[in-house]
Amino acid sequence: MGWYDKLFEAESFTLENGKTVTQKFTRLPLILFLLLIGIVVSVWVTGFSIVTLFENFAGFWKIFGSMFPPKLSYFVQVWRPLLMTIQMSLLGSFFGALLALPIAILAASNMTNHRAINLTARFILTVVRTMPTLVSALIATYIFGLGTFAGTVAIFLFSFSFVGKQLFEYIETVDMGAYEALTATGANSSRAFVTTIFPQILPTYLSTSLFAFEGNVRYAAILGYVGAGGIGMILNEKIGWREFQSVGMILLSIFVAVVIIETVSQQLRKHLS
Amino acid sequence: MSEKLEAVLSKEPRRGVQYGITIIIVLILLASSMPALGGADITAKGFEMGRNILGGILTPDTSLLFGLGDSGVAYLILQTIAIAFLGTLVGAIIAVPLSFISATNIVPRPVVIITRFIIMAIRTVPSLVYGLMFIRVTGPGPFAGVMTLAIVSIGMISKLFIETIEDLDSGILESLDAFGSTLFQKIRYGILPQLGTDFISILVYRFDMNLREATILGLVGAGGIGAPMIFALSAYHWHQVGAILIGLFILVFVVEILSDKLRQKILHG
Amino acid sequence: MIKFEHVSKTYANGVKGLQDVNLEIEDGEFIGIIGMSGAGKSTFIRTINRLNDITEGHLTVDGVEISKLKGKALRQYRRKVGMIFQSYNLVPRISVIKNVMSSLVPDMPFGRVLLGLFSKEEKMRALEALDRVSMLDKAFVRTDQLSGGQQQRVSLARTLTQNPSVLLADEPVAALDPVTAHEVMDDFKRINEELGQTVLINIHHVDLALEYSKRIIGIRSGKVVYDGPADGVTQEMLDLIYSKDEAK
Repeated sequence: MGWYDKLFEAESFTLENGKTVTQKFTRLPLILFLLLIGIVVSVWVTGFSIVTLFENFAGFWKIFGSMFPPKLSYFVQVWRPLLMTIQMSLLGSFFGALLALPIAILAASNMTNHRAINLTARFILTVVRTMPTLVSALIATYIFGLGTFAGTVAIFLFSFSFVGKQLFEYIETVDMGAYEALTATGANSSRAFVTTIFPQILPTYLSTSLFAFEGNVRYAAILGYVGAGGIGMILNEKIGWREFQSVGMILLSIFVAVVIIETVSQQLRKHLS
Repeated sequence: MSEKLEAVLSKEPRRGVQYGITIIIVLILLASSMPALGGADITAKGFEMGRNILGGILTPDTSLLFGLGDSGVAYLILQTIAIAFLGTLVGAIIAVPLSFISATNIVPRPVVIITRFIIMAIRTVPSLVYGLMFIRVTGPGPFAGVMTLAIVSIGMISKLFIETIEDLDSGILESLDAFGSTLFQKIRYGILPQLGTDFISILVYRFDMNLREATILGLVGAGGIGAPMIFALSAYHWHQVGAILIGLFILVFVVEILSDKLRQKILHG
Repeated sequence: MIKFEHVSKTYANGVKGLQDVNLEIEDGEFIGIIGMSGAGKSTFIRTINRLNDITEGHLTVDGVEISKLKGKALRQYRRKVGMIFQSYNLVPRISVIKNVMSSLVPDMPFGRVLLGLFSKEEKMRALEALDRVSMLDKAFVRTDQLSGGQQQRVSLARTLTQNPSVLLADEPVAALDPVTAHEVMDDFKRINEELGQTVLINIHHVDLALEYSKRIIGIRSGKVVYDGPADGVTQEMLDLIYSKDEAK
């Protein structure tokens, strides 16, 4: 920011007793200018228009309105794919979190004292995390065929990278004192880990895994869009056929399921912390 | 002496049963979820697909990757950033008033319950459904993507905004009271400066997330880098897929680092 | 002059904060108020600024009955009575000078308040106050980068900027280490001597109170049990002030 302070002169204040302080020129104009450019470019690139929005917003409410009342009788066909979605999330989250533990240990510099291994493990986590879940689901359907297995794989990859990153960052902050004390008594490093580090990270580990699971249930609902199984399949179908009351019923079912799962999971997480 | 010790020992809490039950419940849940693993069908074709995708990433279509035209990766990235940026901004504009009427220290409890229920409901509808609804409003393209992200962001933004509002330091307001400020002056100099930095930091974080979301909107025709990727995938153009994936990776990676740095700067000076 | 006549304060839950307080405080005095926590020290100080209302008696400042003040008149009265809190009450993520200048806001026109525009003159007033507490070089630093003692000084500068005639301080050094506490108390003393402002400080730490104050007010269970010069405080008196309340 040196150039900015050269361009705009600092203001100096002299007190009665002769002391002087200087204030750098405020950065506010620069920030506002950058923000304005960002907005102008974005509006231009995306074709955003407030006018269109207000003129056509009725269209949004029309679709929204046509979902009411939800077709309750349709639930007979909803519950099975919904259950499948929850099962996908559960399995994917569980195995993802399970595999996240070893890679987090490899990625944490205070656990694995080997720079190359640390960086490799972190690189794997980053690459996997970059991939949008829907894209990995799509690729999974190419490899494993259409169906819930592909969806489970996509959720597994997401949980793995999410829990892995959170966990390794947390491990790097744990108190190493007890670990060192135990190594000093002659315990080998894996035993010292299990008795001193593991109890410290366990609550965070479980809590992060549950948090990932909560999000996954919601996310899994759209995986069907690319053929990766679950409730998204019928959602996509009903939207395509414009059976909006059925769509309403599907959304209502997801809402109830998500509320229940989040409430239970939040209670568990509160208990853990 | 040993009796005394044994008496203490007998008071040791028995967690074994608790752990046992937890493990059994988890195992039952997992076992009953096994049907989700059905439908796996790894054929020789699947392996070939996997190899093709990997090969595509290693030998990306360079004219696409470095092209500067409308279909080049650079422009797609710009468009994705623009969608995420405007989406976050519009979402924030809706989320701010919603958060104030959902904070327990501002409005009475019954109101809070209603507004939080609404936020929860908004949050539950999957982004792609919003995408399809907004296409009716704006027509297909990035504009629909902006509106979709705006609505999808409301849930998380307002959840974090509410936490910030509820954590307000009321001592500062008392100080302002003590030197004779009016209600308006208290809001302007007691509340806004406290919330400002936190709000901005939350928005930067959400922008980072919206960028990821923006990459999939292409699936429903709502713009961004996702659409060409899907086309390339379904047409088996692996070199193009590779080019787009590399662009995506760099985009997400760079923005994540920058947004982390920026938030650090905002929160800790 | 601040005058308490049969002042009592009973909280809504029935707790008696103050009971029949009678005393006079002359302009320019430096008074330390001692007592156990919960004895009513805070209530005493806060009634002077009307952050707490009294329930009985008369409290007059310069002849004005302050319990009758409302709205604008109350706010104008508060401009003359500066208050400093134990918890500093500064906005952490803005600059020091902005925090200091916030006490000028009640006297500014609406438009400038809204936009946060301060004149050079206002900035100079804030800087002079900061200089008085030796914090001039931190004027443009973010407040959350200062230590506790430094933040309390900024809080003091903020109050000085409003140019009050009375300075109330509610446990200003309770959260500070002994060395810093002395430094902040020195600031109070210097301000009292140089500017002639009346200073009332709540301190649960007796040694500090006796060292800096000329006059000590000892409060126990809402009653004033000692009111006199600092060197007249005996060990018996301290035992009384800091004894457990048998009646409760």
